Amino acid sequence: MHLPDGIVPIEMALAGYGASAAITALALSRIKSMSDPQAEIPRVAMMTTVFFAASLVAIPVPPTSVHLMLAGLMGVMLGWFCVPAILVGLFLQAVLFGHGGITTLGLNGLILGLPALISFGIWRTAAQRWPDIAAFCAGSLAVVTALVIFAAIVLAGLPVTLDASAERVALGVFLLAHLPLAVAEGVIVMTLLRMLRRVEPRLVPHA
Amino acid sequence: MPSASARHLRALTPRTLLVMALILAFGVATINSLSALPVVVLMAVTAVLVSGQAYLVLRRLRGAALLALAVLLALSLVSGQTVLAQFGPVAFRLEGFQVGALIAVRLVSIVALTLALLTPLSPFQLVGALRGLGVPALMADLALLTLRYLDEVGTELRRAHLARRLRAGRMGWRALPDYAGLLATSLIRAQARAERLWAAMRLRGYDTGLAMPVAPLRALDWLAMSAALAAALAVVWLDRVL
Repeated sequence: MHLPDGIVPIEMALAGYGASAAITALALSRIKSMSDPQAEIPRVAMMTTVFFAASLVAIPVPPTSVHLMLAGLMGVMLGWFCVPAILVGLFLQAVLFGHGGITTLGLNGLILGLPALISFGIWRTAAQRWPDIAAFCAGSLAVVTALVIFAAIVLAGLPVTLDASAERVALGVFLLAHLPLAVAEGVIVMTLLRMLRRVEPRLVPHA
Repeated sequence: MPSASARHLRALTPRTLLVMALILAFGVATINSLSALPVVVLMAVTAVLVSGQAYLVLRRLRGAALLALAVLLALSLVSGQTVLAQFGPVAFRLEGFQVGALIAVRLVSIVALTLALLTPLSPFQLVGALRGLGVPALMADLALLTLRYLDEVGTELRRAHLARRLRAGRMGWRALPDYAGLLATSLIRAQARAERLWAAMRLRGYDTGLAMPVAPLRALDWLAMSAALAAALAVVWLDRVL
């Protein structure tokens, strides 16, 4: 779910850069306070590669097929590293493949980064007591939050000359069409974390 | 054999090309009047031709062009009062078409300019340019390692999907746990690969980052950045006066 170039006013695009920079600075300061952050770089890069590659593969979610977002899973598995990892992925997609946007990089960072951090918070708080519920919520709420932020940005960014009711109907249809993705991601994250807890528990922090 | 203009473009440092792409992209993003659109289109077409890789840029531009067309069609159909053309119950409206055209041209032009300037760069040069612009070493290293292993991991995942289909795996919603299994396997492999990589990096004396040292800016680089800034300011000015 990427906001393309040219769709929002430049003021919003610049504000997005500012907000993303602030969140990244916060994430980097938390990362620096870890005991050996450099040792984490290869692990985070490898995980980012898997998430990036997996999001390019379409999986069938009846009645159609979808591309997974995996922001929630990134939040759970990478913690504060999810913010720089998401920004790196978005930048590479924009400049190498023309997906997303270079002017909307900051806004796209917010659309995916904030839900990932929320999922990280959910997992850290509830993983010990209710791991399956926490995993499902982390996966599906990330999609719902990203949809809400995306819709809010588009509604605020489109010109006022447009028919507001038509805009709202179109966005409503868009949100409803993505709800199966939220459920699918919840199921996938729950199943995946259950498997990892059993087979390779050191991959799942806070569990 | 690249043209003279393409050779000049390649003589610029990666950092300069990235700054030029950002300046021009933000310049185009400011456009709000339809009369300035031909200027923006002309600028994008010139950049694509000068890049010397027009075919590659146009191929990568397909996704953005399709999205722009979808935005144009959707806005023409759902928004506005003045009917431009009517086909049975379907009416194309002027106001929606105007906003759609503005968004579509901005979108395609920004992507074309970005790709024209950055396509000639290797991923390694691109990450070096990021580092030169002050992006933290951690993020630059993440970008480099992600790019380095993307092909390998992508091929692995596609092979696993194919194998699942050949085994006549479950379909629809019931297939989701199988996909979770594929992803879990990839993550476990990624962890093992990361451990080997970290050991190798430490043996090679990894300390201050993987990105290549940043080349200093020369007169030609400053000239090119100034030209990009002048072009962006001209676009903003034209948008105001036209």
